[in-house]
Amino acid sequence: VSAARQPHGANSARRGAAQRPHSPPGPPASGDHAGTRAVPPRLLWWLAAGFGVWCSALVFLYALHAIGCVFAWRPGTLRLTLALVFLAHVLVAAWIWRNAAKSVPDAAFGQTGNFVHTAVVWTAIAAVVATIVTFGPPLLLATCI
Amino acid sequence: MSESIEQPPPVSTALRLHRQLVAIWATGPGLQRLAAVNHSVIGLRMMITSFTFFAIGGVLGMLTRVQLATPNAAFMDAETYNQVFTMHGSMMLFLFAIPMVESFAVYLTPKILGTRDFAFPRLTAYGYWCYLFGATILTVSLLAGVAPNGGWFMYTPLSSNVYTPGVNADVWLLGVTFVEISALSLAMEIVVSILKMRAPGMSLDRMPIFAWYILVTAMMMIVAFPPLILGSILLEIERAFGLPFFDPTRGGDALLWQHLFWLFGHPDVYIIFLPMAAVLSTIIPVFANRALVGYRAIVVAIIALAFLSFGIWVHHMFTVGIPHLALAFFSAGSAIVAVPTAVQIFAWLATLAHGKPRWDLPMLYVFGFFFVFVLGGLTGVMLAIVPFDWQAHDTYFVVAHMHYVVGGALAFPMLAGLYYWLPLLTGRTAVQRLSTLAFWLVFIGFNMTFFMMHLTGLLGMPRRIYTYHGDEAWNGLNLLSSVGGFIMTIGFALVVIDLVVQVRYGRRVRRDPWRAPTLEWAMPIPPQAYAFASIPHVGAETDRAAGQIALSLARGEGYLGFARNGWQETLGVHMTTGKPDQLIVLPQPTYLPLVTALVTAVAVLALLFKLYLLSLAAVLVIAGLFVFAAQRSGHARDYGPMPVGRGISVPPHTEVAGAPPFLALICTLIADGTLFTSLLFGTFYLWIAAPNWPGSVAPDPSRALALGAAAALALAAVAARKSLRALASGRHAQGWVGLGMLALLAAIVMVARLIAGVMPHPSDHALGATAAALLGYVAVHAGIGLLFLVSNTLRLRAGFVSQRRLLDMRLTRLWLDYTLVTGVIALVLVLALPTLVNLLGGRA
Repeated sequence: VSAARQPHGANSARRGAAQRPHSPPGPPASGDHAGTRAVPPRLLWWLAAGFGVWCSALVFLYALHAIGCVFAWRPGTLRLTLALVFLAHVLVAAWIWRNAAKSVPDAAFGQTGNFVHTAVVWTAIAAVVATIVTFGPPLLLATCI
Repeated sequence: MSESIEQPPPVSTALRLHRQLVAIWATGPGLQRLAAVNHSVIGLRMMITSFTFFAIGGVLGMLTRVQLATPNAAFMDAETYNQVFTMHGSMMLFLFAIPMVESFAVYLTPKILGTRDFAFPRLTAYGYWCYLFGATILTVSLLAGVAPNGGWFMYTPLSSNVYTPGVNADVWLLGVTFVEISALSLAMEIVVSILKMRAPGMSLDRMPIFAWYILVTAMMMIVAFPPLILGSILLEIERAFGLPFFDPTRGGDALLWQHLFWLFGHPDVYIIFLPMAAVLSTIIPVFANRALVGYRAIVVAIIALAFLSFGIWVHHMFTVGIPHLALAFFSAGSAIVAVPTAVQIFAWLATLAHGKPRWDLPMLYVFGFFFVFVLGGLTGVMLAIVPFDWQAHDTYFVVAHMHYVVGGALAFPMLAGLYYWLPLLTGRTAVQRLSTLAFWLVFIGFNMTFFMMHLTGLLGMPRRIYTYHGDEAWNGLNLLSSVGGFIMTIGFALVVIDLVVQVRYGRRVRRDPWRAPTLEWAMPIPPQAYAFASIPHVGAETDRAAGQIALSLARGEGYLGFARNGWQETLGVHMTTGKPDQLIVLPQPTYLPLVTALVTAVAVLALLFKLYLLSLAAVLVIAGLFVFAAQRSGHARDYGPMPVGRGISVPPHTEVAGAPPFLALICTLIADGTLFTSLLFGTFYLWIAAPNWPGSVAPDPSRALALGAAAALALAAVAARKSLRALASGRHAQGWVGLGMLALLAAIVMVARLIAGVMPHPSDHALGATAAALLGYVAVHAGIGLLFLVSNTLRLRAGFVSQRRLLDMRLTRLWLDYTLVTGVIALVLVLALPTLVNLLGGRA
């Protein structure tokens, strides 16, 4: 028997054992599960927000480091400046995470709102970790060698 | 697989509807095939074309293996070898890999989304023709003995005029740019279609994982390709007109090319991988007989992967002399990019572990993928570590790694996907024995060929050498590698034979032979031009068995289950919820894409043969053709909401704010903005890193002209807003449109005068060249703005724009706003150049 005309595995966390093989969790029996209000498309930008901060950190740190080396800034000054820029980005990324995590998805948005909310929270978490791992330890290295 | 014969729909309603829709959607016979715009036709053509270039690229690869099988081989001389390996790499990456993944996306995405076609069918066709012509130019150059010979990444200064004085490098720069225009246009098409043209009810959380992958990939393409397009344009300008962007003796920097190339090149690996991961994420659950584990985790992982892949391009440049601290950013990024990749691999393994897997042909290739890709991933992590990379850089170890990740990530899932969807394409199934033998030959041959390269690389064999002495301990490994290459080729030849046999003699299969859950199987196989006789509603009712829903759709019981006005109709939906919000009427077959692509080819060839005036004329004709194409779009009168079935009425796309063209323009501006940002990066990079700065002549741009140009651009933007408001309130807008035209003309004249006065002269020093490039960017955008306004005027007169149909004016407003913002940034930077140069002087 074919399975549903639905995506593979959408909402798999809630899939019950009673469901058919490889049938993704479906909507409520009534059909549509989109909620009473549409999730505004602008909320999708939040999916990119965390990693947008990561990109910004890369651009600013790489550029600032190059400028500092070209203009022969003192190592201490350069390192401190880089550390401050790094810290600012970590704080912004962490704020995005906290902001997303503490907000409760509007019930009127239905399962779609739930999905977008979860994805935003986890991309924010991934971005915070990526920002710390990618840009933190390198700041301990010699600056312009 | 089941072997029963497809049963014809039992109801005559279905047949009648089928005939009506075929009359509207089908491409005509004979020469009319050249007018095809349908995604099924174009997708299939693209697939066949890309496989043709795969075959040619494969033969070139085999030639290199013949040459390297033994030491001191005289099979090819150095120059021929250079052309052959360069074309092998270029073809495999630009003419096969990218177009092939796109062909999968073009053919399958609308079907999987439950819609009838892409948003811009003429753009699909234009993209295909551009690809075909660009690829043909590159291939013919090989036959003419003037093929590119500087390696597939065309590093400067080797590819500059001094070291490559012939047309070889020009062929690459122009041919590849031509192909990339095609890729970009298709990427925009895909993004808009996935966001706006899904089956009603297919909210984002119910979107098949395939669509998520393709959406993210297409977005990556929009951002990844512009840096290389910019690099190619700048290098071609340097070669043709002597502007020294990459010439260190005149203030340029050869490393700028490497940055621009790898800003594209590294994400490109993921642009190739992600669609193949989409194939795997679609196939594995079907054969595991359960839903994909970790749908949400995978969505998060591919978003993370997309971003991370853009931040690690410098790992291709670890040996160029960048300070350790900066290298460490990219080293760490290159290592952690393995995490989101691993999330997907573990999700696939978990799906198999928790399901009840059945073994069938596509799963053989899935197994092959796991083996090869994990090996390639591990060597990737090794190369991400700077000290190891310093040892292995430019050796065959890197060649081995690259083939494992790109070849493995591409070839095995591609063949898995091909065998999986072949029943959809042909209505027939594969001959199992031949297919299985072919797999093992490909698998054994692949590993034999490329695993040996790890070892030759670690033994110090540099890449790209055309021969070796024989006393380096590489002989046996190279011979084995070459033998493996031939075994792999025999395997691929068997695949081709298998496919031909299948098409001719394969057993017919019923609809949905794999019992898959995605919508492409809910249609007759092979698919018709209209794809779905009526569009499904994704919800509880689609939980029914495939046959039931397919027959119901064939009877017209979904949306748009009828023919109206001879229109090619499909539905536009809300981006997140999938609720229908507009009726989209698509253009019918036309020769316009072919003609436009032919003129584009003339422009490219004229550049190649240094016939610059002819090239300029061709560009103007292309602009005219685009304006002409716009004249035939949309409706010449207001319709208001129209019934689309199931008791719902929606307005046509020309009468709503969120129409696909508006989203497409946003995508275009994102690509354009990336190109502009790359240009800014190039300017600052040269300022900070290039030798011989400052030059002997100080820049002295005219502030009056710059301010005048900025003011004219601002006036044009204001006029666009005023014209939109005037129309929205029922007044005439022609006056404002005319004012906008005058303002843009004034801006172009002033910017042209600024370019004429650039100091130092653009051909003397990179400082002048970058200033001219920035100003040229402004002039080109003002010129395109002018085209928008010309089109507005024509369409206002023809009645295509009204108080309710404001799309044209909204597009113009957006374009002119963008032109104003980028124009002001470019002009300010040009004015700031003297200060920047003084800063450098202070440093000295």
